[in-house]
Amino acid sequence: MRPSARKNRHAFPRFPLVAAVAFLVALLKVTGALAAATIVIAVQSADGRPLPGAVVTLRSTTAPAHPAAPVQAVMDQIDKAFEPDLLVIPVGSTIAFPNSDSVSHQIYSFSAAKKFQLPLYRGKPYPPVHFDQAGLVTLGCNIHDSMLAYVVVTDAPFFGRTDTAGSWSAEVPRGTWRVTVWHPRMREDGDLERELMIGEGDRASLTVRLLKPLQPAPLDERHRSWDVY
Amino acid sequence: MSRRPRYPALTAVLVLAASASHATDWEVDLDARMVSTDGRKSIVDGGLGTLRFDQGQSGLRLGRLRFALSQPLGDVWSVRVDASDWGDHDRNPVDLTEAYLQYRPYPFDGFRLRVKAGAFHAPISMENRAAGWESPYTLSYSAINTWLGEELRTIGVEGQLDWLGTRLGHGFDLAGTVGLYGWNDPAGSIIAARGFSFDDRQTTLFGRVGAVGSGPLRAMELFHEIDGHAGYYAGVEARYLDRIVLRALHYDNRADSAEFDSVRQLFAWNTRFNSAGLRAESGTGWTFIAQYLDGETYIEPDENYLEWPFRARYALLSRQLGEHRLSVRFDSFAVQSSLPNGAGVQHGHAWTAAYVFEPGPHWRFTLEWLRVDSSSANRALEFGEPTFARETQLQLAVRYALGPLAR
Repeated sequence: MRPSARKNRHAFPRFPLVAAVAFLVALLKVTGALAAATIVIAVQSADGRPLPGAVVTLRSTTAPAHPAAPVQAVMDQIDKAFEPDLLVIPVGSTIAFPNSDSVSHQIYSFSAAKKFQLPLYRGKPYPPVHFDQAGLVTLGCNIHDSMLAYVVVTDAPFFGRTDTAGSWSAEVPRGTWRVTVWHPRMREDGDLERELMIGEGDRASLTVRLLKPLQPAPLDERHRSWDVY
Repeated sequence: MSRRPRYPALTAVLVLAASASHATDWEVDLDARMVSTDGRKSIVDGGLGTLRFDQGQSGLRLGRLRFALSQPLGDVWSVRVDASDWGDHDRNPVDLTEAYLQYRPYPFDGFRLRVKAGAFHAPISMENRAAGWESPYTLSYSAINTWLGEELRTIGVEGQLDWLGTRLGHGFDLAGTVGLYGWNDPAGSIIAARGFSFDDRQTTLFGRVGAVGSGPLRAMELFHEIDGHAGYYAGVEARYLDRIVLRALHYDNRADSAEFDSVRQLFAWNTRFNSAGLRAESGTGWTFIAQYLDGETYIEPDENYLEWPFRARYALLSRQLGEHRLSVRFDSFAVQSSLPNGAGVQHGHAWTAAYVFEPGPHWRFTLEWLRVDSSSANRALEFGEPTFARETQLQLAVRYALGPLAR
């Protein structure tokens, strides 16, 4: 991912429509901070390797906060595991827990952001759970101790997760952004925070490197969305 | 003391299963063995051999026929029943090894309570972590856990309080356990009379150990209450993620060592010990387990104080490569005696090597080699044989598991 991005940057000056570029530059000067730019966040573990599955959020330090619109998400229970095993949702969103397994499950959370418990019988769906407070919610099953999932409830307008190359990008308005990074296997207390200003350029990138080595991965052979390759 | 009720757990299961709204999960396992051994007459046959099978039992044997049942009763209650046929001349062909009701309320603020009531194994073993209290590493349990499976069973109540740190953003969990039980006053009689041994035969709740007859090596029934005193154990456990488990436990059956059940000819053996265990697993398939147990058992017939201190330890190293697992274990064990003639003194060590091939949830193939070097004073005192014996046992086990619990 990153080498190809570099190639594109070299390719850009060769774009033939010089006049169009000149026009765009003029337009950018007029619209100023309102224009969008690409922000690229690369997350690395302490040893410098790309970290997939990390949760990245962006909050403006200069403009008033507008959380993203709530969504209706689904976290299923398949083969004694939560699927997906991590969801990032805006504040006010709901999550349905349908239970597609042939065995019964239970879901509990005693995280401050959302405390709840649900008995999940076979084929008896419960109303979706409403997440109205930002924060990290850790989910477990009282019947199957190995079941573990996370819900990151965020009030940030922009958020996402790093891809297999440890990278995440978004189109955001110019300005100064507070970048937070969190990963289930991170040993740091709370999120890692950085600030990033997007000024003249149309692209800004930031590499966030964890300070401490990752916690060991769970021993079962199940694939998790935060596995390190 | 009154006789304990017969089959209370089975009755409970039948009543509750009929009214429960959740499906019953079950499992049936058949474990067949091809055995080659030069072992002395085994404990089951009234001898002082240290292996499950003896010379006369080489050939095709039944390892275990197991029936397991798990019945949820609503969200937080469940019933578990485990019954086995060990293929020897026990009192009942199929009998219970465990049967209990479990209460597991929802966690609250990072804490979770678990309560068991019935008959079950105390949380001591670090290797007997598979279904049916089997070891995923070897066929034969270590000296410590063979003894626990042979003489001990919690028939009572156990409460465990977990602090679920890993669900609160920490790297570790902590737990404390307390058990209160009765009906285990003869525990200690086997270690005093025969010492430690190496097998995977768990004494059944209504069964016995040994051959019917008289004398110190006669068949023992272990699950009786003699003095009306409840025993207890208290333990702690710490877990780092799912990688390292540490356990320590103090056990005391608080039997009144002066009591004697004249009908069954059973002493109340006061047995107490401390145990500690460590299990560490790497992300690359390595497992290391070590356990230590140190205690004593005593009786006071006619105001004579007779004591047998015992101590055992083992270290196990195992490597899993996909469906294959190789394990090696070294055991060391010793029983002392306060008797002037040294009756009951035993010491020795053992090496176990096992290869397990488990191509899926149904089939498991195990090849195990076990060699025990032991010295037992009772071999000379009871049979006029040499005290030292080197016994070797080679087993090939084929197990087939059937049912929803086996998946």
